[in-house]
Amino acid sequence: MNWRHRNLIDLDDWTREELNLFLEQANYMEELLNRPIKKVPALRGKLIVNFFFEPSTRTRVSFELAEKMLSADVVNWSSSGSSVSKGETLRDTAWTLEAMGADAVVMRYGAVGAADYLVRKLKKASVFNAGDGTHGHPTQALLDLHSAWKKRGDLEGARMAIVGDVLHSRVARSNIKAFSKMGVKVVLSGPRTLMPVDMVALGAEYDPDPRSAVGDADMLYLLRIQKERQEQGLIPSLDEYHKRYGADNELVGSAKKDVLVMHPGPINRRVEIASEVADGEKSIILKQVRSGVAVRMALLYLCLGGVRN
Amino acid sequence: MILIKGSTLFDGEKLQEAPLDVLIEDKKVVKIGPSIEAESAEIIDASGKVLCPGFIDIHVHVREPGYEWREDLESCSRAALAGGYTTVVAMPNTDPPVDSAPLVDFVARKGVALSGARVLPAGCVTRDRKGQFMAELGKMTDAGAVFFTDDGSPVATSQILKTALYYTRDLGVRIMEHPEETSLTSGGQVNEGLASSVSGLKGVPASAEYIDVVRGIALSRDTGSPIHFTHVSTALAIEAIRAAKREGLPVTCDVTAHHLSLDENHVLVSKFDSVYKVNPPLRSKGDVKALWSAVADGTVDAFITDHAPWHMDEKDLPFQEAPFGIASLECSVAVIMDTWLKLGSPVPLERILQLFTSSPASLLPDSWKGLGRIREGSMADLTLIDMEEAKMVDLELWESKGRNCPWRGEILTGWPVMSIREGMIFRKEI
Repeated sequence: MNWRHRNLIDLDDWTREELNLFLEQANYMEELLNRPIKKVPALRGKLIVNFFFEPSTRTRVSFELAEKMLSADVVNWSSSGSSVSKGETLRDTAWTLEAMGADAVVMRYGAVGAADYLVRKLKKASVFNAGDGTHGHPTQALLDLHSAWKKRGDLEGARMAIVGDVLHSRVARSNIKAFSKMGVKVVLSGPRTLMPVDMVALGAEYDPDPRSAVGDADMLYLLRIQKERQEQGLIPSLDEYHKRYGADNELVGSAKKDVLVMHPGPINRRVEIASEVADGEKSIILKQVRSGVAVRMALLYLCLGGVRN
Repeated sequence: MILIKGSTLFDGEKLQEAPLDVLIEDKKVVKIGPSIEAESAEIIDASGKVLCPGFIDIHVHVREPGYEWREDLESCSRAALAGGYTTVVAMPNTDPPVDSAPLVDFVARKGVALSGARVLPAGCVTRDRKGQFMAELGKMTDAGAVFFTDDGSPVATSQILKTALYYTRDLGVRIMEHPEETSLTSGGQVNEGLASSVSGLKGVPASAEYIDVVRGIALSRDTGSPIHFTHVSTALAIEAIRAAKREGLPVTCDVTAHHLSLDENHVLVSKFDSVYKVNPPLRSKGDVKALWSAVADGTVDAFITDHAPWHMDEKDLPFQEAPFGIASLECSVAVIMDTWLKLGSPVPLERILQLFTSSPASLLPDSWKGLGRIREGSMADLTLIDMEEAKMVDLELWESKGRNCPWRGEILTGWPVMSIREGMIFRKEI
């Protein structure tokens, strides 16, 4: 199969067949990571710019590691101290990076639509969306998918419960797309004030009761609750949230025995997740992080001219 | 003298069945008849085309004074005429806001001496458009204001709106309300529903428009004063206005070309192209349908553009960072005609043409009520429409400074091909 994607903005136009091929490729990359000498020359001579306008540690570091494993030249460009803080527009900064010879731009940006915008503005460099506001975070979804798939194999017919602040979550939006395409039924739970009004449009169901939402779940995916949601008045308090929706052993107990507990990180202990669950045997949170590097290696390799067949 | 021969005449109310000739002399329509001879007249063959009173757009952001890099009175006037309008009303949310008689006078004087459509001023309801104190509505009336509006925002409090409604009841100038309950819309970017759910952007709920419309209707009932709701975009608000009209209240409304032709899916399908970012936001398909039903049953009183030109350096940004607004003065007539044709002409053409002419004219102060009609003796403001003309929206040819137009490059059918203002041919493409 020819790999037709040069960019990754979100997973809307990826087929299930492509996702399967991608997961195999990520597995291969993970094997590379287990070798004593990890580096391969696949992207030697390619210039990749990591362009982060919002604070991010794990995504940026994960991309950077992936780029370095593939021997790409890596430049990190952050908003503070750059031209952006001098009032340069995203468009002009992007053109500047392209003029410097960037083959790809990995971007995190706070505004919805920023990654799509960048694709429209750049003439030839590839764009990888590392998060555009509340809209999409496709590499997180790919690494989540990879982590679950490694544990479970074919996910057809599996059930996933996503509990938390779906309304503001780019992770949830991209994950619903990725997992649904693989035949997973996704159920959302959390307070109504943190849910989008039209969940059917997202391809998911809603269950106000986290216990029944989690019942029969093969995967329990917890979303980070930001403190500002309390300040915005969307939830009365973090403590109330934890009591009603937080994942403790009791909530996890209502899922399948071998449920996978997942979280995109960074976790808020005693808010969306109790330590007994975060550090418990059902948690694959740290395995997700490891998948992150392999998945991003696979992505860069496929899209920047690695294998074409 | 100009003799327009053989057109299908729309006189502001009715489409005439048989072709008629119209003779213009000294700014006036002097004769209408089946076969007029006038030897020295410039003859225009308008057979197969519809001759209408000059179109009127009561909601345009001219941007002057203060934002002339986006648009100015002259460019807006030329753009309006190119788009088939002979009269447009300038919104007062400029810098400074048009909230006093000298500023109204500035727009009014300049507005009638431009090389395109005449531009009439609207004044703010409140001083500095801040919603605290009533502006000098009486002095602005005398200076030529044709509407009062805090457009861009609703009138801030119910108390001020009620006072202003009472105060204007006998002035003959209507209050135009931008219906938005802002505590619900703060931070809003797209329609609450499909677009907000898929994007994660803060939604602007239909209820925010509805609540403000219901407030305005209640205050119109209290005061007995007319109120006009502008850019109504939702089925909910339209239904409230329909009920108020049935009750006999002096409530009127207008709808934009973009809310009649685009919906929230355009935001998503375009992958967040900021050209689709507008306030009120593009709504659901059901809302678009409800607006057309309201056009059909007489709930809607006018088509508007809400032409909101931006410099592309300001507008061409990632969706969430871009300002609200669509520039459409030069293609809005074609947008409405094209949509109407594609929907299979769900409303008589007569009704469509009324909403561009006599119906908005009836919302203006008495001194302008002669607009929007063609009679022997009436002012020769005329728009000639070719319902078969198919043409691309080519922004390179625009008179407007704005380029933030969702229909760029699209081929639309049903265009104005000639505009006459006060007996002068300003634009002719036949």
